[in-house]
Amino acid sequence: MNRLATSLGKLSLQSPITVASGTFDTGYFDLFEQNILGAYTTKTITMQPKAGNPPPRIFETEAGLLNTIGLQNPGLKGFLSEELPRLRDLLDIPLIVSFSGSSVAEFEAILETLEKEEGIAGYEINVSCPNVEKEGIAFGAEPDVVFALACALASKSSRELIFKLSPNVTDIAQIAIAATEGGASSLALINTLYGAAIDWKTGRFRTSNPVCGYSGTALKPVALALCHKVAQAVKTPILALGGIHTWQDALEFFYAGASAIALGTAFYSDPLAAVKLHQGLKDHLEEKELALSELIGKASLPLP
Amino acid sequence: MPRFLELKVADCKRLNADYFELWLEAPSLAPLCKPGMFFELKAQTAAQERKLFKPISVAGVLNDRISFIIKAIGPGTRALAEVQPGETLFALGPLGNDFPLVEGKNVLLVSGGVGWPPLGFLSDLLKERNKITHIHGGAGASDIFPCDRAYTVDGSAGEKGLVTQDLPQILTDQNIDIIYSCGPLPMIGAVQKIAPKIPHFASLEAYMACGLGACHGCVVPVGESYLRVCADGPVFNAADIRWEEI
Repeated sequence: MNRLATSLGKLSLQSPITVASGTFDTGYFDLFEQNILGAYTTKTITMQPKAGNPPPRIFETEAGLLNTIGLQNPGLKGFLSEELPRLRDLLDIPLIVSFSGSSVAEFEAILETLEKEEGIAGYEINVSCPNVEKEGIAFGAEPDVVFALACALASKSSRELIFKLSPNVTDIAQIAIAATEGGASSLALINTLYGAAIDWKTGRFRTSNPVCGYSGTALKPVALALCHKVAQAVKTPILALGGIHTWQDALEFFYAGASAIALGTAFYSDPLAAVKLHQGLKDHLEEKELALSELIGKASLPLP
Repeated sequence: MPRFLELKVADCKRLNADYFELWLEAPSLAPLCKPGMFFELKAQTAAQERKLFKPISVAGVLNDRISFIIKAIGPGTRALAEVQPGETLFALGPLGNDFPLVEGKNVLLVSGGVGWPPLGFLSDLLKERNKITHIHGGAGASDIFPCDRAYTVDGSAGEKGLVTQDLPQILTDQNIDIIYSCGPLPMIGAVQKIAPKIPHFASLEAYMACGLGACHGCVVPVGESYLRVCADGPVFNAADIRWEEI
């Protein structure tokens, strides 16, 4: 019996562990077996290639990592010709393609192109990347826009449609409701918080773009609270991420209502974080004679 | 193919107030190491548990051991400086590409501060079949390692000034065919500006996260795009770098 089996909307996952878009690459499979993961999510692709932001792009803070990569990617054509064939050959686990657009029409056009390709299990719709001025944030912050985008995309695909939500909004539950009503079949949350760092000796920002995405340890309580909030607002399956490192972290998110989790920044402090998480979770569930699915959303209030 | 291992510390000794030399036991990895390649290293302390690894160039290989010469500048490198022989630390590597080797050339090595170790390693491999001139600079005396001409900004060792100040003269006097450099980007840029027509391979330093090419955090402007120091470098043809953007 696979106690770790879970599902994310239409996807059956053999492991509840996935990877945060943009943090992971198949190079890690030199270090561990891919079936530790339940799915593989690509770096976000856009219609046109993107050079990304100038260096310096990253800076480590007390409890997390700042980044301003700027969605560097080879564009849809480059992805189809160089990346997708390689991923199809290499992966035995479901492939989720993350993409972003500058208009509803562009999101639709990318999806229509990807629909013609085999070997893709689902899409992650990046409406929340805070790094790039036009793409992403304007979509993710407005419930009406998220609803319209979800409607447009859901009508064109029967594949898993994951909307990735930003924490940098007034009420994430309203965005989750809008995505769900529009047809999103699952929700990934949270994307990075805003963050910045300045060298106090020189007064200079540490990164080329002053306002970065902030990820890592510090995000965990924020992500957990928002996971709970969204789980209360909608029945849509949740892929939780934000500061998760250990199997104990993952359990907290399952209790809060997540069906699966993603690791990101954790890989940079421990390349084998997913392996340890997988083993720890498996051992724990065996000891308790439980299946993961029995824990999801079962968080309760402290005893008086 | 890089590996992620716990490696045993064979030796860790202070070289001076700022630098230390670390020797790791790595029989399976030592034969794979070439000049320019690096490891992501991290001490196994509680304070370092959630921290990034530090990218450190290979300084040399002796039998089953790999050496690193490290400047203790922040919490990550200071934690590495405190490891004891017999203890283990986390190592991901070997990573990155290596310097192309030459024969029968007049070679100039230009290094600055922590840029010395990979060029010291390279020098060991090139010296039998080439004529080598190694010039090296740093902020002060502690930054200085064995070389033909040393420069310090504060004048506490070698000549006072920058490592590039006598470069035009050296290029002519030694009839230099090829340059290898490693150090701060402005130093490498200055070398390239002075000698734009001489083949020049530079190993770059960068703030780094994954080390495997996944995060795109450590890029430099090269050719028409941003390339990753960890996975596309760290050795680049200096002429390909868009110096006007640095």
